[in-house]
Amino acid sequence: MVLNGLLKTIRKIYFGHNIVLWMILVVLPIGVSLFTMGMFSSQIVQHVPIGIVIQDNSQLADKLEAKLRSSPVLDIKMVCPDMGECEHAVVRGDIQGFIVLPNDLERRTLRLEAPVIPVYSSGQNYLTNMFTTKEIRAVLSAAGSELFTAQMVDPVKVQIHSVGNLKSNYQGFLVLGLVTAIFHLAAMIVGVFVLSFPLRDHRVKEMLGYAGGSRFTLWFASVFPMNIILWLETVGCYAYCHRLLAPLTLDEFVITAAAQLFMILACSGAGVVFVGLTGVMRMATGAAGVIGSPAFAFAGQTFPVMAMPFAVRCFAFVLPLTHVLMIQSTMLLGDVNMEPAWESMKILIGMALFWNILGAFLMSMRWKQFARRETEYENKMRTDSEASA
Amino acid sequence: MIRRLWKVAFAEWKLIYTDPAAVLLLVVAGLIYAFYYPVPYVYQTVSKVPVAVVDLDNTAMSRELVRMASAAQQIEVKAIYPEMKQAEAAMARDEIYGFMVIPENMEKDIRGKHQATVNIFTHGAYVMFHGAIGTAFSTCALTVGATNKVKQIAMSKQVPSAKAIAMRDPFPISIQTLYNSTGGYANYVVPSVLVVILQQSLIIGICVLGGSRAHRRFRKKLRDSPVENESLPYRYFGRSLAYFVHYCSFILFYHCIVYNIFDFPRRGELLPMVVFSVVFLASVINFGMVISQVFLRRESSMQLFLYMSIPVLFLANFSWPAYLMPSWMTAISYILPSTFAVPAWLSIEQMGADIYDVAPKLYQLAIQAVVYLVLGLVLTRARDKAKIDIGDM
Repeated sequence: MVLNGLLKTIRKIYFGHNIVLWMILVVLPIGVSLFTMGMFSSQIVQHVPIGIVIQDNSQLADKLEAKLRSSPVLDIKMVCPDMGECEHAVVRGDIQGFIVLPNDLERRTLRLEAPVIPVYSSGQNYLTNMFTTKEIRAVLSAAGSELFTAQMVDPVKVQIHSVGNLKSNYQGFLVLGLVTAIFHLAAMIVGVFVLSFPLRDHRVKEMLGYAGGSRFTLWFASVFPMNIILWLETVGCYAYCHRLLAPLTLDEFVITAAAQLFMILACSGAGVVFVGLTGVMRMATGAAGVIGSPAFAFAGQTFPVMAMPFAVRCFAFVLPLTHVLMIQSTMLLGDVNMEPAWESMKILIGMALFWNILGAFLMSMRWKQFARRETEYENKMRTDSEASA
Repeated sequence: MIRRLWKVAFAEWKLIYTDPAAVLLLVVAGLIYAFYYPVPYVYQTVSKVPVAVVDLDNTAMSRELVRMASAAQQIEVKAIYPEMKQAEAAMARDEIYGFMVIPENMEKDIRGKHQATVNIFTHGAYVMFHGAIGTAFSTCALTVGATNKVKQIAMSKQVPSAKAIAMRDPFPISIQTLYNSTGGYANYVVPSVLVVILQQSLIIGICVLGGSRAHRRFRKKLRDSPVENESLPYRYFGRSLAYFVHYCSFILFYHCIVYNIFDFPRRGELLPMVVFSVVFLASVINFGMVISQVFLRRESSMQLFLYMSIPVLFLANFSWPAYLMPSWMTAISYILPSTFAVPAWLSIEQMGADIYDVAPKLYQLAIQAVVYLVLGLVLTRARDKAKIDIGDM
């Protein structure tokens, strides 16, 4: 009997020709995740457009230009006759920076006067500029060391390793977090939609009828399928995105998937609470959007939480995304990572329980209120029609 | 004619301020996000990132290297470990975000003219830590290497140290940052995001109000009002005028107040700013008018555009270069006003571009505005003829 009611309610909520629901539950989160992954498919920054001002007509200047041209990271797009032209090109966004090979470069170099080569970087694009200046420094230093001390090796060689992301690809750095952030937002929006459309369409009594009058059955039928579907999508998209990095072990996969499940539960629960508090879909969607949309900026993957003001750190702490990203990032570190991950997991479990219990309580009150309103409205309509008859 | 336009515009403002959902999107969102988004980045740069050193050499040279690392601004050496496992465990506990491994026999190798390799490990999930830690540690290690190389050159070539320095690095480079000299993260990310916020809130707001026009209660209440029965061009341009004036005040607010409070570079000249505001808002408003004809429910646009906010931000070409994206994605990005507006705004406001510098991007925005205007008029006419009634909320 209870199971029948449950299945019937699920059928009515999820298979009642509700295109918008399937759009926001399946099509948009998966589509946007794949789109975001595709955006970073080139993985590393390369062919950054730069300019060069060659004031010195010498063999050394030609050699340096050739070396810069052979770098895969740089693309000399402009050879400017003067600095002003290159500067305007930076302002227009055509190039990210430029190098000036100054007058008498070769003569002063051969006289061991160490002429300075100025490199002007736009500075406006953090990532591209970082890679560009690093590469220019590497190319020019290598060319310089070949000039007088080619037979001498550098006493110290430095190798930088990015743990868990050996190729330092941008997809590894950013997209794993972005995909999780998309589902963080999706869970809130879907939570709001599923619980608020019966209120919007005045179908609370109908839905309660399918659920055999049990508000618990209606709540369970509303939240269970969406959480499972969103969780499977999150795990699938994450695994697809993770294929470019070192593979996860079974333990790591289980912990990551569990963290994602609790994130989905917490976020959909928060969405339900917004509906319970406002009782209106558009207001609850607005609240979910205000909190969920910029969550990635607060979660510490692009700009570290430790460098944020205290109040913002507190806000970051209450976002489930912060803790999931922490678990996901510790999983990149190999077999030393299980214990710290549990701390974040406990917080996520606590959040999931809190938001769901509060959401269930508030929705129970809302359903009662809306069912009463619908009954009153029906009675009024009946009385009116009888009176007019 | 002007009077009829203003009449429609005033009616639209009244509608905005009497609809809580529209107030939330068209007023509150623009104000709140302007402060909410920059706040995490008020400190601009990452400094004192906790790191560790694994000293396997334990000699005078390795200790000198540790001292140099401790003096670096970007990092703070929290611990010195005798073995790598301890550093790995500390990184897993989030106590440190990277470490440098000084190899065994480093001093011996360097003195014996052999190369020593210093390994730097950073946390793979954090791009900013990777840059800060990598730069700080490698600068220290390479400085130690450079000092020793200069000594080797001076001794082997019998030259004074000044000449030895010049022989090691015959043409040093000097990196000058033109427009974000502090390297601040907020200066980089927030100005672009503000443009995207203006675009997204305006589009969703127009859709919320456009959607309500198909709403049964709206029609019942306002179908007989003279403004709603005004001829199509007056209705279309009057509504557009309301949004235009409303969002011009937002651009002024961002330029004069938000930029001042957060101390963002403000180099924009009057003429390019005015032209930018006109073409950008024209493009976004007409785009919103087109999209609003598609949605029947008020909240559907919110649901769609909230999902789209992340791709829209990255398609705007400020954080990830467009030429590295697949060409079909670049083609899609041409639909959005932000693709041209964000670089134009950065050029004007951050870099002080004149009108000629940004003209190509402003032309593209203007073309978008004209295309969406034609589409908007056609679709509004089609919607006027259609009989659409959506349930009451």
